[in-house]
Parts: sequence; C-alpha cells; structure tokens
Amino acid sequence: MNIRFESVVPHPLKEVSFQDNSIWNNNFSLNKEERVVLNATSGKGKTTFTHLLAGIRNDYDGNIILDNENTRSYSLEKWTLLRKSVLSFVFQDLQLFQDLTVNENLTLKNKLTQHKSETMLREELAFLGLENKWNEKVAHLSMGQQQRIAIIRSLAQPFQWIILDEPFSHLDNHNAQLALDLIEKNCTANQGGYIITTLDHDSALHPSKELFL
Amino acid sequence: MIRKILFEHQNKLQLIIAFFGALLGLLFLQLSFHYLIRIIEFGDGEESLQRNALIVQKKVTNFSSTALSKNNFSSSEINYLQKQGYITEVAPIKNNNFGVSLQTDSELVPYFRSDIFVQAIPSDFLNIVDENWNWNEDDEHVPIILPRDFLVMLNTFASAKGIPQVSEDLAKSIGFKFTLYNDENKAWKKVKIIGFTSQVSSILVPDSFMEYGNMHFSTGGEAKITQVMVNLKDGTFGEFEQLMKERSLEGKESEMIVGKLKSIATLLFSVLLGVACFVIGLSGLLFIQYNQLILAKNEYTITTLLRIGYHPKAITKAVSVYFIRLFFILLVSSSALFLISKRMLDYQLLKAGISISTSYSIVSFLGVIAALFLYTFFTHWSAQKEVYVKR
Repeated sequence: MNIRFESVVPHPLKEVSFQDNSIWNNNFSLNKEERVVLNATSGKGKTTFTHLLAGIRNDYDGNIILDNENTRSYSLEKWTLLRKSVLSFVFQDLQLFQDLTVNENLTLKNKLTQHKSETMLREELAFLGLENKWNEKVAHLSMGQQQRIAIIRSLAQPFQWIILDEPFSHLDNHNAQLALDLIEKNCTANQGGYIITTLDHDSALHPSKELFL
Repeated sequence: MIRKILFEHQNKLQLIIAFFGALLGLLFLQLSFHYLIRIIEFGDGEESLQRNALIVQKKVTNFSSTALSKNNFSSSEINYLQKQGYITEVAPIKNNNFGVSLQTDSELVPYFRSDIFVQAIPSDFLNIVDENWNWNEDDEHVPIILPRDFLVMLNTFASAKGIPQVSEDLAKSIGFKFTLYNDENKAWKKVKIIGFTSQVSSILVPDSFMEYGNMHFSTGGEAKITQVMVNLKDGTFGEFEQLMKERSLEGKESEMIVGKLKSIATLLFSVLLGVACFVIGLSGLLFIQYNQLILAKNEYTITTLLRIGYHPKAITKAVSVYFIRLFFILLVSSSALFLISKRMLDYQLLKAGISISTSYSIVSFLGVIAALFLYTFFTHWSAQKEVYVKR
C-alpha cells in the first residue's frame, strides 16, 4: 500500500507556519516496504500524524490517499478492517488493557487475526526478555515492559505498514535494538514497511526515508 | 473475552433492580393476558349463541299488561340501539305466527309431543357455521337449537317413563319432527338438533324456515318484534346496563350477572395489564440506561478494541449477547413463576366455583416474547449508537 499526503494540515496547527520540508501542508508519498522515520521534538504533531493515518482523527484540511483512495470516504468499519490486516499501530499511550494479563492482551489481538501461534508469541516475548511475564497483569509491568508488549501485540497481525509512535521512549539502547530487530524481521515477513516517530535522532535506526515536522 | 472486559468488575445493582422489575412486569403481563383471554372466552364452546350476545325485551309493567303501553320494538328504537358504540350488532328476534308442535320421531325414545314456540335469529349471533344454519324447502331436516331447559324437561319425562336419560350429544342423534299447522293446512318437517343454548327459552330455527312457516301456515295477525338480540363489545356490559335502565329494558337475569362479572374481571385484568406494561417499560429504560452506563465506563476499552482492529459489530454483538442471555433467564424465570401463579389461581377459582379453561394460552407467552424482543432491539440499538460514534 502506498501512502500519499496532499497538503494536509491538522486544524489545531492551522495558524502555524511550517518549514519547506515539513510533512504538513506539503505533498509527499510513502511507498510500500519503505522504512520511514519521523523525527521531531514534542508538540509538533507526531501523534497527530499517527492518529490521522489510523483514522482516529479527521479534523484536518487536505487529503490522505491510501492506494488511490481518499480516506475521507472511509467508514468506521473500513478503518477497523484496515487496522486488522493492513495498518498496524503502536500508539504512544500503548492502548493496552491494564486489568488483563500479557497473555490475554496478546491473545485478544491474535484471536482476531489468527496470525501467530501461542508458541510464536511466547518466542517473541522471550526475544524481548519478557518470557516470565506471560501471566502477569499488564498493570504490574514497567512502562518499558509495557512498550515491548504493545510492540509484540502490534506484530500479531498481517500488515503492509506498521506505524509506531515513540515506541522506544522507555527502552534502553539494547532493548530498543532488540525491538527494532523484531520489527524489521516482521516487516520482511509481511513485505511491509514501518513508520517510526522519535523524539531524537536514533542511531540504531537506518531509515530509507526521513520525514520532518 | 470482549464480554469479560466490558462487564466484569461492574456494579450490578441497577441491573439487578431492572431484572426484578422486568420479572414482575412479565409475570403480570402473562397473568393479565392469560386471564383476560380466559374471561373473554368464558362460556364459549358449549353455547350456540355468541359469548357477548344478549336477548333484551321491554320490561313488563302493569301498563303493558293492560295494553296501555307497547312492549314491541319500533324500527327507530332498533336504530337507536345500533348507533351505540359498544353494540356491534342488533337484530330483531322473529317469532312464529303459525301453529307448531315438536314430537319425537324415533323408536328409541317414547312418544312425546308438545306445542312449542319458535324464534329465529340471524346466524351472525351464533357460534355455528353458516352452512349448517340454512334451510330450504327441499331439505330433509330443519336445523334447530334447543334450549337446555327443554332437554331437562325431556329427561324428566324420560325418567318418569323409566327409560334412560339422554345427553346433549345423544339428543343430536335422536329423530324429532315439527308439525306445522293452521286451521286449513298441516305439514310435517323432520328436525335435527345442531346445538344447545342456555340463553334462550324458545327453540331457535333458521330465518328461512320462519318465513316459510309464517307464509304457509299463518294464523293471521301481525308478527311483532318483542325481543331483540344485541352483540356487545368485550368488557362493555356496564355501559349497556346503564342504557337498559334508561330505556326500561331487561334481559335474562343469569346472563346479566355473568355479563357484569365478566365486565368487572375484564376491567381488573386490563388494569393489571396496564401496570404490567408500565413496569416493563420502566425496566426496559433501566436496562438501556445500564447498557449506556457500561458503554460510557468502557469508553477506553471500546476505542482500544476498535484501534486494534475489532469490528464495531463484534463489540455491539458482545453487548447484545450479554443482554440476550439475561433476557432468556428472564423468559424462563417469568414463565416458571407464571405457571406456579396460574396453578394457584386456577385452584382458587375452582374452589370458588368458577370453572374456566386451565389450558395455557399461547398469546400470553407471545406477549412476553414480544416484550423481550423489544428489550433486545433497544439494547442493541443503544449499544450500536454508542459504539459507532467512537473511532
């Protein structure tokens, strides 16, 4: 799936003037299987960008085109179908169910997509150093552990794009690298690309394209 | 799993109140529906005249006895009755203006003969299929409806003769015949009993036979209308009774009492039905409110489910299935309570000498199904409304 932004300006940023290379009020395209990094400081609209792509917000001017289709025409049903099998997300607030266990959080998603076996999910947990957290309530985990659970959950579905909003903000370099390796592996397996938003330039990331705000 | 996330750890007090409210409402609904039907049907089956049919005549006074006032109905008086909203039909009862006697016509029963009085009423007032209440000159038998008092008299006669008494069914197979006569002519017609009545004291014959008799065997004089038959709407006996008082009319005392009791019971059960509908409506609102409360409390859960790819229909379905299960429990428990209550009430009625049909009326069950269907529809609709506004 190709993504195209045409002069998109979120309403809250209407009065702001943008740089020439900003994604806002400009035209740009993201082609399938690209590795994209969106680098910006706080308050520039990284989460807004993620939410626009997820169809959570529609308070913007301009057009967002997915494979030649304007997303303004999408219904809630269409968005949920995309979120199930085409676009995967790790939101900044992670959107985990705090009262459920790690197992239940992952199974809830995987039951919907039937994408991975329990063994595969357990292997991914082990890869990110969380093998003993399977039956732990998410509320009892640290933010860094929760981020890794959210990443594994987002990989429990087929996708053409995975969009991650500051996914490593609570991870040390070692764990961030492991998480990135896992994302890369799944992107290759799904023939998909990723878009990662970060606060600072991360040396571990080797994007094919960089976006700015 | 979705149901678990949405409904676990929720305060269920409101749901419990709604459940018991609905349980009571559905119980009242079934009871009132069931007994309303039974009261309305009361007397059906064994009576040849329709259940709300009444025969009325003018009160006999000293003036009418001395012919100072008329006891017959004029056409304007019949029209006046017809115009009353609670009267569905009025018809004059025709009397015979010819000599007629009834006698047995079978070797199985001893000879019996009596001069009688016959009357004709339209088939609309009878619980008898039209084609059975028809007579042509060429027909072998004249169909008649016999007053039960007449059968009692016949059985008294049979006892006196030392022969077995006859039941209503047996009486229908015994041969009888009419002798029609006036000063010049005489003729015999075979008759067949096709039903019985407790409301009329004379033998009822089809209109066509009455016309035939009056035409060929008339004894002279004018055939006056001294009685009319009215069909009332269910539960309107009180209004008709008022009219009877105003117009100095009277009916058969036993029928009047039954009609009055039926009207009172219909009113009582109608009030109960109204209360039931009110309680059911109130409980339904509580269910919808609880549903909305759950969905409002679960706003984060619902948006998260939508954001990880759950279809909105899957969420509304989970909510609906939760309530459908609850409504099924309501259906079973209210029906069980109804059966217990019905058993107790039927027993009490029987003890009081009121024999009504004890069979289960399917309409009352359908009433509950309809109420629960409405509950399901509105909870599903309100869930859909809440989920689809989220993104």
